[in-house]
Amino acid sequence: MSELVIQTRNLNKKYRGRYAVRNLDLEIAKGEIYGFLGPNGAGKTTTIRMLLGLIRPTVGSIQIFGKDLRKDKMNILRKVGSLVEYPSNYGHLTAVQNLEAIRRILDAPKARIHEVLEIVSLTKDAKRPVKGYSLGMKQRLGIAAALLGNPELLILDEPTNGLDPAGIHEIRELIRSMPKQHGITVLVSSHLLSEVEQMAGTVGIIREGEMVFQDTIDNLKQQASGGFRLVVSEPQEALVHLIGQGYTGRMEDGAIKLDQLSDPEVALLVKRLVDNNHAVYRVEEKRRSLEDIFMQVIEQGGFS
Amino acid sequence: MLSYFRVLSAERLKMSRSLIVLLILVSPLVSILVGLLSDVDSRQQPWLLLLGALSMLHALLFMPIMSGIFAAFICRYEHQGGGWKQLLVLPVTRSGVFLAKYTVIIALLLIMQVLFLGALLLVGAVKGLPGPIPWTEIGRSLLGGWVACLPLAALQLAASLMWSSFAAPLALNVMFTIPNMLVVNSATYGPYYPWAQPFLATLPAGTMEGGGFGALNLPFESLMITVVGSFVVFFLIGWIYFRMKEV
Repeated sequence: MSELVIQTRNLNKKYRGRYAVRNLDLEIAKGEIYGFLGPNGAGKTTTIRMLLGLIRPTVGSIQIFGKDLRKDKMNILRKVGSLVEYPSNYGHLTAVQNLEAIRRILDAPKARIHEVLEIVSLTKDAKRPVKGYSLGMKQRLGIAAALLGNPELLILDEPTNGLDPAGIHEIRELIRSMPKQHGITVLVSSHLLSEVEQMAGTVGIIREGEMVFQDTIDNLKQQASGGFRLVVSEPQEALVHLIGQGYTGRMEDGAIKLDQLSDPEVALLVKRLVDNNHAVYRVEEKRRSLEDIFMQVIEQGGFS
Repeated sequence: MLSYFRVLSAERLKMSRSLIVLLILVSPLVSILVGLLSDVDSRQQPWLLLLGALSMLHALLFMPIMSGIFAAFICRYEHQGGGWKQLLVLPVTRSGVFLAKYTVIIALLLIMQVLFLGALLLVGAVKGLPGPIPWTEIGRSLLGGWVACLPLAALQLAASLMWSSFAAPLALNVMFTIPNMLVVNSATYGPYYPWAQPFLATLPAGTMEGGGFGALNLPFESLMITVVGSFVVFFLIGWIYFRMKEV
């Protein structure tokens, strides 16, 4: 198992008797992009606030870079860049001055300001007061601020919230480049699967404060296959024949429904049917979209 | 401690080109106006009489009110759109941030006092008040007035940290400051009312005709007991609250 950058154990946050986050075991490996998914109000931001030490967990432990957050908060935060909910800035100051205020606290080299402005392509507007910026530019400035301290871990809470498609694309490409170009581990939260599926390697899906799925996006896609549908001549006989051969299947609307099979298994199955003098008209794979699976997970709290 | 100096340095940058610069000027400018219009009897201790005249507005009203405005002002940016989050996810201690914010408020008040001294000297010069200028008394008055503002600044910082609204802490502040005009006349309540202390500390005892009125005869030292006591209480409230605050 690769090195874990974030690891929470039995994390709980209780507000007035109600759990906002419950028994959360988050595991994020070094160098990956982790998509933290869930509907609004599922506990994503609450979790992120706990990871950043903004609020204290009711129960549970948080380890970041292998160190306990409670004991090593300063050292951990020095290596973490974050953007929580909305980007915040001083409207009367320029982008450079805004970053300078943060730079003074981080004690980063001055040249870093221009580097991060370059990364988020704000160099051209760097000398303008921030109050004249569009939402997308403010968001990029927020990411620039998060990158200022040369972090090893980037935590972005809904970074594409309120952006137009072009802005979303831009931010997505930016996030995607982080592990490759800068070796940064990224935790990015979203309420839309479609938004993170193109960049995240691993996803965690949270629902009513509880983690209901945590695995690679490929494994999530595996769940998307819904089996096969065969249209053949004499379907009843064909089904009896297949069941005799050890397959599991059933009749549905005059077609045979089979569970998920690999490519060679499908080929063999078709051959057997043809050998048994059935005409094979159609072999269809029934796919559910990732979005359907996501909806199922967050509605039912798991796979059926 | 390192965290404190870094936050302080960042705060100073945030101040630049902000309206605060104009707010500092309000009281000294008004004082100049009031001073030029006032009639100072130049027979005995004219400088202290002038100081007394100017204190009516400056120390009775502006100093407590400005403590609140400065506090609300320096928390305003953080309250807008999750600025506290952005600040507190940086490697800073809560105490460092709290102390830095407090330092900014009292530094602004100190600058205001220096400008007020300038206004006093200007008015005195224009009116041709005879010397020598009683530096010791004036210095003690202005410094005492500033020290008496420290608990108010601490309370207002606490209120500004607690309430994200800009107006709420100011309303609290005005609510406690307005009664000053009555309270300073009372020998019973004056000494114990924190909002009255800047005025009581500024106004030189015994400069008023007949030796002053109400609580004005109190020795400097007894005023400081109220100041120090309320400072400890207000400062601890704000500091402990901010350390526990869920952001």
